[in-house]
Amino acid sequence: MPSAKDETFKKYIEVWEDLVSIKDLVMALLICSITTLGGYFIAPDEPPRPLFFGLFGAFLGFVICSIIIKPKRNLSETDAEE
Amino acid sequence: MDGVLIIQMVLAAVIAALMYTIIGIAPGTDETATIAPVTLVLVLSGLNPNIILTFFMSAIVASKLTDSIPVALAGIPGGVMATPQVEHALVLKRFGLSDVSIQKMASGSVIGTLISVPVSLLFAHALIPFADAIKDYGSPIFFAGTIILALISKNRWLALVSIIPFSLLIEGLRHLYWNIGVVPKGANVFISFFLGITIGPVILTLFELLNKEKRDRLERYERKTIVFKKTNNMKTKANPFTILTKKEAGLSALSSVIGSAAFILSPVGLTTFLGEVFSSRIKDPVKKASLAIACMEALANATYISGVLIPLIALGIPLSPMAIGPANPLFNAPPVYTANHNMHHLLTNFDFISAAIIGSAAALIITFYITIKYSRQICVFVFKRVPHEAMLGLFFGLVLLLAYMDAGWMNIGGVFLIGIVAGTLYRLGVNYGVQFMILYSAPWIISKLAGQ
Repeated sequence: MPSAKDETFKKYIEVWEDLVSIKDLVMALLICSITTLGGYFIAPDEPPRPLFFGLFGAFLGFVICSIIIKPKRNLSETDAEE
Repeated sequence: MDGVLIIQMVLAAVIAALMYTIIGIAPGTDETATIAPVTLVLVLSGLNPNIILTFFMSAIVASKLTDSIPVALAGIPGGVMATPQVEHALVLKRFGLSDVSIQKMASGSVIGTLISVPVSLLFAHALIPFADAIKDYGSPIFFAGTIILALISKNRWLALVSIIPFSLLIEGLRHLYWNIGVVPKGANVFISFFLGITIGPVILTLFELLNKEKRDRLERYERKTIVFKKTNNMKTKANPFTILTKKEAGLSALSSVIGSAAFILSPVGLTTFLGEVFSSRIKDPVKKASLAIACMEALANATYISGVLIPLIALGIPLSPMAIGPANPLFNAPPVYTANHNMHHLLTNFDFISAAIIGSAAALIITFYITIKYSRQICVFVFKRVPHEAMLGLFFGLVLLLAYMDAGWMNIGGVFLIGIVAGTLYRLGVNYGVQFMILYSAPWIISKLAGQ
């Protein structure tokens, strides 16, 4: 059945010029929002520390996402030029 | 300037160069969206302006060059500014010259940087006698800039028609916040609106994903296959000038001077135009492509650097596409920097020169001697390990954070609203430049419309 095959292979959409899976994207947005705002709110309330905690939270979210989400790119290395 | 500060500046430059090597290589990242939020956070954190400017200079030089590396290796641009080079890089790739292509780019970027720093300082000083006159008419000039940018854009009527509605949205939200008291009256809610415009297209797409019909109708793709040429580690010659032919070096230098003088024009437009003009008369495809690539890289670097340094040194108001885009937080990041109190007022000439030199030199040394040598490994690492979702998540998180800091929870909705409208306008054909200019001139436009 070609339709089932299509679903298995063509499941990614393009956002901002690269491919993402909707499920992973939602997860990434949630994780980064929570870590960023979480960092901001647990920080001691004396500027600029909330901002630094927030920034660190954003970076932490980025690292977590990079570990649990696989990029949607295949790399193939060739000896010959195309 | 003491030794400790210089060490901090060097450190900031090295961190920026490493960070933006990764971000620059990742596909689809726009300079405004990647550099502005981080710079903003640094400004708001109250860090010394010398260190921030050094960080910024290193970030733009590094991200510009690393933007182009995936173009040479795989034919996909790492960012908007690298798009004009794709065609020429593909020619070199077809002839098996990916490494030559990277070396020419790198040398072009060295020339662009070396020329544009002094030339920008020169132009900035030539502009200083007129600075007061220009500043007195700041608001009308931004309005004129909006009109001019709209007129020279591809969809000029659309852009012109959007000016008043978009100004109304911006000022409408500000007045609402003032009236209900989430921010003090007169406080300029700016940063988060700026970011809302920047990630507008992404916000709009995210909202579309919530619509089931749209979601089902969206075009689906399979995994993207990126073809790399297997090469050994590249070595660059110690001297960037021996990589380019005399003609390439000369024309790269010339384009850098023109790029610096034309700092007020759009970098992408200028790069495409001059690159084609200089290379159009050459028949041999390889020579033509290498010349175009070197010139474009030099020019792009020059417009970047001059677009930041000239308005910063001479005017203190962001009058260039670079300055209203990625460099915007250096001019305007309330409450730390405002139109009357920003880097222009805080830094001396010597500060500007040393930050520009330390920042660009650190970025050039790192990218020229390290990034290029391991360019294949770095590209493979980024493509294999950094998912696009994580990049989107990172910037989404930063936008939420800055929206909340600007005007509380309500403003997250406000930024979404700006994002939806800005994203729609962008998709219809109103470019970022016009939208940023409207953001700047909105208060003036609305007060004039109200007859004040």
